Amino acid sequence: MRLTLVRFFLSEFRKRRKKVALITFALFWGTMSILLLLAFGQGLSTQFRVSFSGLGQNLIMIRGGQTSKTYQGLPKGRRIRLYPPDISYLQERIPEIQIIAPESYNNMPVSANGKEINRMVHGTTADFAKMRSQIPQIGGRFFNPDDVKFGRKVAFIGWNVARDLFGDANPLGKRIFIQRVPFIVIGVLQKKLQDSMYNGPDAEQIYLPFSAFSQIDSQYHIDRIHIQPLSVQHSSLIEERICTLLGNKYRFDNTDRYAVYIWNTIENSKEGMAIFKGIEIFLGIIGVLTLLIGAVGVTNLMYAIVKERTQEIGIKMALGAKRRTIVTQFFLETLFIFAKGTFWGFISAFNLVNLVRLIPMNYDNFGIESYLLRPVFSLQIFIVYLIIVGTLVFLSGIFPALRASKMNPIESLRYE
Amino acid sequence: MIQFSKIKKIYLTGSQALKALDDVSLEIKKGEFVSIMGPSGSGKSTIMNIIGCLDTPSEGEYVLDKENVSGLTFDQLAAIRNGKIGFVFQNFNLLPYATAWENIELPMLFNGKRAKKRKERITELFEAVGLYDWRDHKPSELSGGQQQRVALARALANDPPIILADEPTGNLDSQSGIEIMELLSGLWKEGHTIVMVTHDESIATYSERTIQLFDGKINI
Repeated sequence: MRLTLVRFFLSEFRKRRKKVALITFALFWGTMSILLLLAFGQGLSTQFRVSFSGLGQNLIMIRGGQTSKTYQGLPKGRRIRLYPPDISYLQERIPEIQIIAPESYNNMPVSANGKEINRMVHGTTADFAKMRSQIPQIGGRFFNPDDVKFGRKVAFIGWNVARDLFGDANPLGKRIFIQRVPFIVIGVLQKKLQDSMYNGPDAEQIYLPFSAFSQIDSQYHIDRIHIQPLSVQHSSLIEERICTLLGNKYRFDNTDRYAVYIWNTIENSKEGMAIFKGIEIFLGIIGVLTLLIGAVGVTNLMYAIVKERTQEIGIKMALGAKRRTIVTQFFLETLFIFAKGTFWGFISAFNLVNLVRLIPMNYDNFGIESYLLRPVFSLQIFIVYLIIVGTLVFLSGIFPALRASKMNPIESLRYE
Repeated sequence: MIQFSKIKKIYLTGSQALKALDDVSLEIKKGEFVSIMGPSGSGKSTIMNIIGCLDTPSEGEYVLDKENVSGLTFDQLAAIRNGKIGFVFQNFNLLPYATAWENIELPMLFNGKRAKKRKERITELFEAVGLYDWRDHKPSELSGGQQQRVALARALANDPPIILADEPTGNLDSQSGIEIMELLSGLWKEGHTIVMVTHDESIATYSERTIQLFDGKINI
């Protein structure tokens, strides 16, 4: 279509756009709804992923249990415990394991600065930090393999432990006493969202090198084994191999789900992501329906406009307008009407999303707001939105435009 | 220029067939000024619509400028209307939202004439009809005579060989009517073929030849 003709149609549209104010508002509202719903929906998914990874990234956890089936003449109800040699036992036999770390814990009195509190104290190895999202605040660190190897008396503490013992003061390099044994604080956990946990949130925990922990705790068995697979696809396979290997070693039926408990967060998070994806799609559909009301309004308006301009259409046809010229005119008009409403809807939604994101996150009181306050306005949403609007523009514009172009020129000229 | 051979136009209204044109054959030569007269319902409008390619005959052949237009598509007819025919209507039929300038420009937009050429042509046409100072006014701000002159200028935009005027003076006072007829006569003298429908005898005297229609047939 020729540009000058488009310009002519635009100027015609400008001269008589009074009627479109209400429809513009409907489109503005629909656009804002659809974008906000998509942004909040994606925010939900993202926050779920973020807070789920607060526990750990691609993590499989094993804990000892009690047999619930008889096996090779052994009774059910036997206690199964894990021991430090199981780490290398599993690692050597399952090549799909990328990293593996033991963890033992006990509730212990902790004191510093004249204050005494009771907290869960854990012993583990350096790899634990990678799997369980233990990221130190600036200036600190998690313990390293040498700390574990030499049994150094160092501690990595949660931010609430730091606050309870030291208030606002910097705990790094200070001494804390655990079971009256002095440890040096080498790191404080950076704040994070965490929706899955055992023994409470990581903010309340204290971590020591496994070797140092063993010196202050009499327990020989280990409470948990943490495993990160080479790739997430291996998670189910690894789970199976663990059952078989531990079943052979400790003599239990490898189908016995209670002999050892396996918490496969990879499978959990897949399920969670599917649920949130579902919510996202659902919200998107609601948004589309809202915008659809605006689009139906536009179609209605366009039919009215076509009728009102019957005579003009006849004149244009008499002067030599082709069918596609007429289609183009009314199609463009639909586009102009959409453009204005959706533009302001887009701007409003964009600003609202960014405004909401300015609200600070409370990391200690993990609630609904941590899911709702982080809407995301992504390129993906924008593309989805463009596809939806494009379809709606086409659907609401094409039928009135086709009707206009199919008019009989003689009857149109006579129309009053 | 215009050749009708045995043209029939039948309208179906419900179960009844209405013969608007019945075996009309006529020839209008290049440069002729012909008026078509007849009472209401005699088929004047139908014949104009067919000549103007706004309608197609039910039967018969219509050759316009050596081209048989009987079987052409809507868009092909649109191109013929755009290039070969200029319409002047009784009620002017100007676009109400557009200025006089834009109204005259419209037929040139449909065939994609360049901006500079358009500007030259519109200026020329305004001077011919004497309304250059009124170029930015909308039709509602012009008198009937002025509106019809704008309409005439628009009909001439693409310099068509044929001017079709359907009661061009019907809505005008006699003075404006005379002005319009003088403009049309001038165009005829310049070589345009002019076909005009009227039921005013005095207006018909401007033409060389009058075709009388009665009940869809030509009365000779």
